[in-house]
Amino acid sequence: MQYLVTIGILAELSALLAVSLNLVLGYGGLLSVAHPIFYGLGAYGSALLAMHAGVPVPVAVGLAALGCAAASVPLAMASLRVSGDYFVIVSMGFQLGVLQIINNIEITGATGGLSGIPTFASGPDRSLIALGVLGVAVVAVVWLVRAVVQSPFGRALTAMRNDEEALAALGRDPVRMKMAVFALSAGIAGMAGGLYAHVFQFLSPTQFGLETSTALLTMVVVGGTATIYGPLVGAVLITAVPQAIQFLRLPPGVSSPLQGIIFSVLVLGFLFLRPQGLMGGRRGGGGLDRWSGRRPGLPSGRRA
Amino acid sequence: MEREATGIAVGAAGVTAVLEISGLCKAFGGIVVADSISLSLRAGEVTGLIGPNGAGKTSLFNLVTGVVRADAGRIVMGATRIDTLPMSERARLGVARTWQHARSFPSLTVLDNLLLGARGYPGDSLLRSLLQGRVVRRMEDEAEGRAMALLERVRLAHKARDLASDLSYGQQKLLGIARALMSEGACLLLDEPMAAVEGRTYAIMRSVIEEEAGQGQAVCIVEHNVGFIRDICSRGVFMATGRVLADGPVEALMRDKALTDLYFGAAV
Repeated sequence: MQYLVTIGILAELSALLAVSLNLVLGYGGLLSVAHPIFYGLGAYGSALLAMHAGVPVPVAVGLAALGCAAASVPLAMASLRVSGDYFVIVSMGFQLGVLQIINNIEITGATGGLSGIPTFASGPDRSLIALGVLGVAVVAVVWLVRAVVQSPFGRALTAMRNDEEALAALGRDPVRMKMAVFALSAGIAGMAGGLYAHVFQFLSPTQFGLETSTALLTMVVVGGTATIYGPLVGAVLITAVPQAIQFLRLPPGVSSPLQGIIFSVLVLGFLFLRPQGLMGGRRGGGGLDRWSGRRPGLPSGRRA
Repeated sequence: MEREATGIAVGAAGVTAVLEISGLCKAFGGIVVADSISLSLRAGEVTGLIGPNGAGKTSLFNLVTGVVRADAGRIVMGATRIDTLPMSERARLGVARTWQHARSFPSLTVLDNLLLGARGYPGDSLLRSLLQGRVVRRMEDEAEGRAMALLERVRLAHKARDLASDLSYGQQKLLGIARALMSEGACLLLDEPMAAVEGRTYAIMRSVIEEEAGQGQAVCIVEHNVGFIRDICSRGVFMATGRVLADGPVEALMRDKALTDLYFGAAV
């Protein structure tokens, strides 16, 4: 039972990350792999605030989220100058650079990790409480992303993905839009990180590296870019797969590379065979589903 | 008629300069696309920009709208110098344009394409977009009313809820001009509106352009369809290799042998 609850918590955290990454990647068409670093900054930030400044846990999580929104500014600025494949490299550099800092300063516990983080609930039911709190957070975030996507801002975001120059010629400001969407996305990731820190009470820098980036990318692509519920489905699926592998009782030499292989096959398979993902297809690539259901979808994931 | 949105009082056609270009220069390496261009676009006047391929006509549009920055020179819109401003701000000050290849947003409906062009778009701010529900709703309703009226004018109202990617090429060109008109700018730059357009679409496009000029809009058209230029433009500007070679009534330009030779190639 405890095992299932833990898996549920991990799936909820993944859902928060995948849904927020989809804002930038799916709706904004900005290919950032740096999402886990905001998760990490939120986790370390919230943990350190609670440990050393005596900030109550919920306040620390909130401050960490705001801090991550601010920390996204350098990345957003970079996205104004480079795009597409080049931005993938820049975002990776940003992620690994910040990760090296975390790896090498004393206050984060460096490579040894950070322990002794205050919990946000005590008692025998604390895992169930965590499951519930995270569940509420997932519902709130999905609702928020849905509201953003269906708002006039979301419409402009979809247009920006189609043709940024044509959008600017209409008087809309892509600079401001990119800053806003990065800040929101990083803020949600930061909140997820804060929650993670206080639920598991231990942090290690390895959790926020490129492996997490690929896992998140897989969730969004498999679930469906630029769909509301796709990343949610992707998150549950991709969290469950590695656990399921463990039940196969394969020798470690087989099981540990197997996970990477499965992720790769999934991403490539979906990109070639079903680019709109599991949940896409009604009107793929379209941010607004105000008129959804009326149109059979055009191929999603298209980036004009 | 007065256009309040821009604050420019419009009298007789051709009196008020809406857009003033002076000494505009731009080179990409050794390729000169604008060689000290001076030109003013006047309210209510339809100016045809003609010249051989590579003359710098579309480049001039790109310089005015801010797709590329000029190396030297000034562009003044109304009373504001715009050549140092980003694209979006120039558009908000009243420079509207279309593109040779329409460039509609394929993932959005025809109506959504138009709504994005609305002056004072409520989605410019993420927070406002989320928090001021009632204000946003009211602005959107108002913009939707204007968008539907524009779609009626270009005969696309029945397609309002269709994805822009489902439109034919000609319809996409009409969508392009309708979208550009949503901003209620004072200056309309049309890049080959008639290229690959014929029949009914041609007639609709022509009447829309004439109506806009009649309402005091300064219109400038890049077009290779000489018949169309002759029909609709009161003034022609002939360009070649980044320079303005002649500026005057279209008929006079057409009679000038030196220019027609440049345009069509001289008989050897």
